[in-house]
Order: sequence, then structure tokens, then C-alpha cells
Amino acid sequence: MTLEACYAALGGDYKDVCGRLCGERLVKKFVLKFLDDPSFGLLRDAMEAQNWGEAFRAAHTIKGMCLNLSFTRLGTSSSALCEALRHGYTPEAEPLFRQTVEDYEATAAAIRAFRTEEEGA
Amino acid sequence: MDLRDSQKQKILIVDDSEMNRAILAEMLGDNYDIIEAEDGEKAIPILQEAASELSLVLLDVVMPYMDGFGVLKVMNQRRWIEELPVIMISAEKGPTQIERAYELGVADFITRPFDALIVRRRVVNTILLYAKQKKLINMVEEQIYEKERHSNMMIDILSHIVEFRNGESGQHIVHVRVLTEAMLRALVAKTDRYPLTQVDIALISTASALHDVGKIAIDEDILNKPGKLTDVEFATMKAHSLVGAEMLDNLSTYREEPLVKTAYEICRWHHERWDGRGYPDGLVGDEIPISAQIVALADVYDALTSERCYKKAFPHDVAVEMILNGECGTFNPLLMDCLRSVAPSLPKLLSGEWTMASAWEAPKELTREILRQEELAQSGVFSQEGGHKEEERK
Repeated sequence: MTLEACYAALGGDYKDVCGRLCGERLVKKFVLKFLDDPSFGLLRDAMEAQNWGEAFRAAHTIKGMCLNLSFTRLGTSSSALCEALRHGYTPEAEPLFRQTVEDYEATAAAIRAFRTEEEGA
Repeated sequence: MDLRDSQKQKILIVDDSEMNRAILAEMLGDNYDIIEAEDGEKAIPILQEAASELSLVLLDVVMPYMDGFGVLKVMNQRRWIEELPVIMISAEKGPTQIERAYELGVADFITRPFDALIVRRRVVNTILLYAKQKKLINMVEEQIYEKERHSNMMIDILSHIVEFRNGESGQHIVHVRVLTEAMLRALVAKTDRYPLTQVDIALISTASALHDVGKIAIDEDILNKPGKLTDVEFATMKAHSLVGAEMLDNLSTYREEPLVKTAYEICRWHHERWDGRGYPDGLVGDEIPISAQIVALADVYDALTSERCYKKAFPHDVAVEMILNGECGTFNPLLMDCLRSVAPSLPKLLSGEWTMASAWEAPKELTREILRQEELAQSGVFSQEGGHKEEERK
């Protein structure tokens, strides 16, 4: 799996990110790093604990990373969740959270598949 | 910040996402030393310790514990923001956020997703701009310092000529100035009853040298008479304050200059006393301009601690006690407090063993004040206040 194929699988904009980060080297480095980022875990814990401030910040961080990495799909859902939590809890946050989880898992799965092939290569 | 410094410039990145910090650090490459902080609360101690060594701060908005705006507030309170540029980086695109950031003094605002080339370019530009500005400010400071030194020197020379007729050492002028400045600084630290700016302090200290300029018109025999003066002689002697003031008032070219106006106040009223028992006008309390009140006290202290043709010198402690006990006339109680607080450092200040931090700090402060006024004038805030202030002075 190429990095470009990985981007297609996770619903991202490969061309855009390579343009901004000046080539594939940095993109690859940070895409792989994305799996280690604790923000998604924080978001899940905060939603469960109904700590909306913390959940907002975690969603905000995920949104920021997605913007930087051009992860369009996850960026869209985390951004919507972020807005739904900006001033505390709103009912829309629940479905938006489920969407964010779904997109995150799809993103993480695509990156893991890419990583496995990279390590095998 | 020195451009010739071969050491790498330091940039502080404040962002709660490790990945975002890493991306920024990668973008900036090996050209800079990167220091990282994971939230605002962790950034403050770093700034506290090394604000002057940093060339730039890249600051995220949304962070736990203390967000980017919290950091900016602290940077404003402690005035770090004046010399250390901040580029705010955020996924927030709302105009209010960006406006708020600019109001709090950020140099630039970059929204995510960022482009490596743009980040790098903006960082370089901001650092260069601030370095240039700093260099210009330093140049202005040096110019002001030199200018102040020269004008003080000219006034000193002129005043010494008057002093020499009086058989005095020529140190009196220097002592009165040092005392006046020390007292003014103590006064400003103690109360805001007298709204004195750094410019005012410099002006009054400089003008203090002219307090006895009227003695040029007094007969040398009276000036240097060893014994007690007769009533007539004393009346002649007392005329020096009015004569000095008139001399200044007759300077057609300069009479409207703040320095000359201040010198006028000092010449005319440096023998007035708080209780109204001074001369020539018998002014009471704050009818006497604060400049003249302070120079009066400085003049008395130095007269006590110097040897004169008619008396020996009193030691420092005795002189301070005599003034505090009211043996040399009544002074403003606030100034008595100021005298108490500056008294311990006076002998070393007057002997020149200690220089007042002002020697170099004052021009810096003056430069800052002038720049601030310029900025305010440009933004339209100052014109009104400045107008009031001039009115009050008239």
C-alpha cells in the first residue's frame, strides 16, 4: 500500500498535504505518529465522563491534526463535534461523536495497514 | 537579540498536541533551537526564565490549564510582549478570535492547516522585523542618552559659573540634581498624587541645576560674607529667586520651552515653605509646584552637609534629622517620607560611589515613553489625554 493509497482509504487529500509539508518524507513520519497520539483516547474518556470541556479540547486537537495532515473525512466530523461542544453539551454532540469514532477507526485502520506493509517492505 | 550572534535563535512552541509541536519543529528545521511547552501553564515559567533569550513564540489558542489568550495576558502584564514576538497558530478561524489575538499584541496569526514554506517565511520575517526594531530602539536610546548628557553638561557649566562666584565647590549643582532625581523617583514610587512621567523627572532634575542662577545678580560681598547678614543684605540675598525667575522669563526665544518653564518654577519658588513661611510669594502647600518643593529640600540638605563661608558641614545623619525635625522650615509630609526612604543611599549616591540606575535606565525608559506616546497618538487615543495634560501645565 502506498501512502497515496492510504490517503485514499482514509478519505484524505494526499496532494494537498505533500504540497504543504514539502514532500512525502514528513507526511509519512507524521501519519505514522498519528496512531500514537493520545487525543482520541482522551476524547473517548471525556465523553464517557461527561467532561465536556475536556472533550471539546480533545476534539479540537484532533481537528487541528487532521487539518495539518489533510485527513479530510475525520477532520470534518471532529470539527463538527468540536463546534457542538464549544459551549458545553448539546444533543448533537452524541451522533457527531459516533461519527467521529467511526471515522477515526477507519483512519487508524488505513494507517495500520500502511504501516504493516511498510514494516514488511 | 544580536544578529551577529552565531548561536541559533530560540523559538518556544506552545501547543498541547505533541504532533503539532513536532510538525512545527520539523518545518522550522535545523535553523533554530526549539523549546516546547505543552500548555500555557508550562510556558509561563519558561518565559519567566528566558524571555529575553527567546526570539519568537509560536502559540496555540485552545489548550488545557491555560489557553493561548491566558499566556498573552500574562505576557502583557509582565511586558514581555513588547520585545518578544508571538505568532498565534490555531484552527480557529473566527474573526473575533483573530481580532482578540491582535489586540493582545500578537505579531501574526496563522490558521491551520499550515504550509511549511509559509510558516518558515513568516517566522523569519517576524524575527527579522523585531530584531530591526530592537536595533533602532537601541540607536534611539543611545542618541537620547548623548543628547541628555550634553544638555546636562551645558547647564552644569553655566551653573558652575554662578556657583564659583559664590565660593562654592561646584559640587552643589551635581548634588542637588542627584538628590532631586532620587526624591522624585521615591515620590513616584510612593504615590500617584503628582502625575510625573519619566520625561517630567528628567526635566525637573535637569532644571534643578538652574535654581540659584539669580545669584549672578547679587553682590559678591554679600554672597561671600562670612558673618550674619544684616536685614538689608538678607533682603538683597533673597531677591535671587525672583531675579533668576525673571531672567528666565525674559528669554524671548525659550520662555515657552518646558525646560525653561520648569526652571522658572524652581528658581522662583525654591525658597517657599509648605507652611507659607517661605519667600518670595509665601505660597502654601501644593500651591508650590512639586518641582520647587523637591529642589528646596535638596538645596537645604546640600547646604547643611557642605561647608560654607559662614558654617561648617554637618554630617549626613545630622542633616537628615534636622530636616525631619523641621529645623530648616516645614516641608511637604510626603517628601519627608521620601527623604526617610532615600536617606540610607544618599551618601553613596552623592559621592558618586553609586550611580543612579537612571544613568542608563532613564534614556531607555524615556525612549519607551516616547515610543508609547507615538503609538497612542497614531491610534488616536493620546491626542485627547495629551491635550488635557498640556492644559494642566499652563
